[in-house]
Amino acid sequence: MANDRVIPWQPTVIAGPKQALLVTPETAELMIKKAKRPLLILGPLVKEDPVLTLATKIAERWDLPVVTTADAFKAFNDKGLNPISYGVVEIVNLLKDPEWQGVNGQGQHDLAIFLGCVYYIGSQGLSTLKHYAPHLKTLTICKFFHSNADASFPNMKDEEWFNYLEKIGTG
Amino acid sequence: MIVVAPKPKSKPKDFKDDFWKKKDLKISIGEIVEKEGAVSEKKTPMGPTPKPHVTDLRSWDFKLLSRYEPFYAPFCDMCCLCTFGKCDLLNKKGACGIDSATQQARIVLLACNIGTAAHAGHARHMINHLVEELGEDYPLDLGYNIDIEAPITRTIIGQKPENLGDLKNVISYVEEQLSHLLSACHTGQEGSNLDFESKSLHSGIMDDLAREVGDLAQIVALNMPKGDGDAPLIEMGVGTIDSSKPVVLCIGHNVVPGASIMDYLDETGQEEDLEVCGICCAAIDISRYNDRAKVVGPLSRQLKFIRSGVADVIIVDEQCIRTDVLEEAQSKNTAVIATTDKMCLGLPDMTDKDPDVIVSKLLNKEIEGALILDPEKVGEVSVKVAKILAPEREKLKLLPELDEVQKLALECTECGWCNRVCPNNKPMMEAVVAAGTGNFSNFEKLYLNDVCYSCGRCEQECERELPLMSMLAKAGEKLAKDEKFNIRAGRGPVQDVEIRRVGAPLVLGDIPGVIAIVGCSNYPDGGKEVAEMAKEFLERNYIVVATGCGAMSIGEYRDEEGKTLYEQYSGEFDSRGLLNIGSCVSNAHISGACIKIANIFAKKPLEGNFEEIADYILNRVGACGVAWGAYSQKAAAIATGVNRWGIPVVVGPHGSKYRRLLLGRTDKKETWKIKDLRTGKIMDGEPAPEHLIYAAENMGEAIVMTAKLCIRPTDTGKGRQIKLNHYMDLYKRYYGILPPDVHLFVRNEKDIPITYKKDVKEILEEVGWEPREIPQEPSLMGMDGD
Repeated sequence: MANDRVIPWQPTVIAGPKQALLVTPETAELMIKKAKRPLLILGPLVKEDPVLTLATKIAERWDLPVVTTADAFKAFNDKGLNPISYGVVEIVNLLKDPEWQGVNGQGQHDLAIFLGCVYYIGSQGLSTLKHYAPHLKTLTICKFFHSNADASFPNMKDEEWFNYLEKIGTG
Repeated sequence: MIVVAPKPKSKPKDFKDDFWKKKDLKISIGEIVEKEGAVSEKKTPMGPTPKPHVTDLRSWDFKLLSRYEPFYAPFCDMCCLCTFGKCDLLNKKGACGIDSATQQARIVLLACNIGTAAHAGHARHMINHLVEELGEDYPLDLGYNIDIEAPITRTIIGQKPENLGDLKNVISYVEEQLSHLLSACHTGQEGSNLDFESKSLHSGIMDDLAREVGDLAQIVALNMPKGDGDAPLIEMGVGTIDSSKPVVLCIGHNVVPGASIMDYLDETGQEEDLEVCGICCAAIDISRYNDRAKVVGPLSRQLKFIRSGVADVIIVDEQCIRTDVLEEAQSKNTAVIATTDKMCLGLPDMTDKDPDVIVSKLLNKEIEGALILDPEKVGEVSVKVAKILAPEREKLKLLPELDEVQKLALECTECGWCNRVCPNNKPMMEAVVAAGTGNFSNFEKLYLNDVCYSCGRCEQECERELPLMSMLAKAGEKLAKDEKFNIRAGRGPVQDVEIRRVGAPLVLGDIPGVIAIVGCSNYPDGGKEVAEMAKEFLERNYIVVATGCGAMSIGEYRDEEGKTLYEQYSGEFDSRGLLNIGSCVSNAHISGACIKIANIFAKKPLEGNFEEIADYILNRVGACGVAWGAYSQKAAAIATGVNRWGIPVVVGPHGSKYRRLLLGRTDKKETWKIKDLRTGKIMDGEPAPEHLIYAAENMGEAIVMTAKLCIRPTDTGKGRQIKLNHYMDLYKRYYGILPPDVHLFVRNEKDIPITYKKDVKEILEEVGWEPREIPQEPSLMGMDGD
């Protein structure tokens, strides 16, 4: 199919007319640069190399506070990222509350970057934020197109995806 | 007004032996007091809410909902329920004025109502049938070890049911409430998400009632195990089915048709001549009725087993059956008999026809299948058809040969859409590509433990129309032959004596919790994880109770010595007990056990006393449900029902698609305030349990969260140490460090597990922890809203 890259990876998660903006690494970088209080959320699908290292580089390069979901904590803690662990539904629940002061207590985040959460529960969480968190933008840099995000990488094969992550992680 | 249950007849209950007297016990079980050999009924005071209407428990719901706020995850931005729409509710209201949150809550109510209706319809059908057979006065006698026979009914309805007729009246009340609840889903009715949630919680306890009376009816009338911890082990697994015999497969949940088949075989002396097996809860319930019936396995086996062609006749009753079962069966020349009004499949109604005429029409293909609403006839027709059809079908019991699978696999274009449409994105394409080279190991990995639960979506998508499920079934065929497991027959309720034994250690925390592994097989990564969870908690001295597909998945795991968990652990309700309670409807006995703890151990009156009982369970009974593969509307109703009783539930990642969770916030201290009923003081509480319904992303997270959700404010220092020790152990295993929130659960130094004393003290110092006062009778009652 011609537009395979921008049909949601699991095609039936299409929720309505609003679809995510397809982004390249360059656009993703612009979003991160523009954000005042971005947050990187790393899930259990990226707890092994090479994406473990690629994700770590991104966090380090952009000095992003990191939340891990499920049992991704151990891998990223071992990488020295000093992450905070929440369940994916817990962090989304906090992100949707405009009064929450963020992981550093410095105010609610204005950009949530997701990488490595299980696709369908991630999609549900992105839907929550799409509906109930107008105060923040969501960006997904998985190898899957997430239509419920504000901005998403397209569906890709591993090699292209690693290149995308490398670009954001090293410039 | 509906009179639900007649007043208790004056005749005292006869104990079947002198169990109590031998032990010289003077006991009080609810309102029944035994004195010097005589048993007499004591008038039970009626609580404030007998037979509550939709809004009568709203204040309790609002207390729960202010602590555990609804978290919505819309599955769809749109509403398409009326002709104003479709309406896009993303940051907009619909034409009727509804907003997104309220719409989600409305859909949750709709789902709960569908689930409740499924159980109520099932119970109504069964009770009517049994009343017709045995009469309304047929007594509800669960034997001498169970006097609190219907804790949910007693609490909600306010009366003790005595016989089948009383159960019928309970169902009438459920049906009445259900019509009000369903009505609220209509356009232009409820406009508040919280009120929708309250109604969902009400629907949930209606579901509890329906399940309780449904299961009690079948237990007493069909003589199923009555709380027997030593119920027989039942053969389970595809490998246990002798396909050289005629095979009748029952799919669904209603025991009546399957029981009739067993009866017919017994009556005609053919019990050794046929194999009767089941998938899903029908399997569990038929094997509770007759231990010769075999269990194929959970729902995840359905398509694979039908495609294997082993079944000569398929009997479908109701719930969770593939709606294309007729088409699938026809492709294997398997006869299909539909047996309830819930699923007629477009088949001709043959109920009034002579059984031999039906047999003839089925065999001669004059009809595609038969709808037979008379269970006795189902028994006779299915056996006769299977016997004649089996020899003709011998060749159809074979799947395509492996070289044929390889040939088919070579047609794959590697488009990858099979992987994308798989609910779990499992690597079907890679399995097909490998099969094309003669390597079937990837297929086998998908087959084992139902990692692929054979929904068949991949087949629907395949541009080459490859029969992927048949290819999978063939590749797994040799593994299927080794699938010989067992499951303990569903035992039904927990006995009162067991509650007496474990009430104190459970409430004080010495037994760290009751883990209820329930629900369907929509697992994220196969059924083995369920067995692993059960094993983990059993080894840690929890009580593990199970029902339905969850109970089956637990039995599909063998240790190094080849033993299943059911062979390794006792079936008693005690520390390290593994109990198969029964089918979906038997879930009622799990909430029932918690209610009985409040009644038998704490002497809380049940009748019409919902809020006090739920408040007790929420604050004191360390129970947690795990519905790792929940997929159905029934599972939504079950979880919502147990939530209203104050029991938290962990669902798998697919559970997020129910659109609503109930999550606590540890950072909002004010939401955890409680009242100490002993002193009347409002005081700071603790996040125990932290969430009411929670979706975990993977098994590790679920195990850790489940252990945490067993913590309760009334744990003694020793009990809290035990619970924290498990929580910390598990957290450390999956996260590599000690839980950073441990300070929230340490009230004073006596709570700190000895093994972790030094580490915990460091954490406490770091966060500026100070000891807290421990409430003696923590409660949400008497707080704001009362």
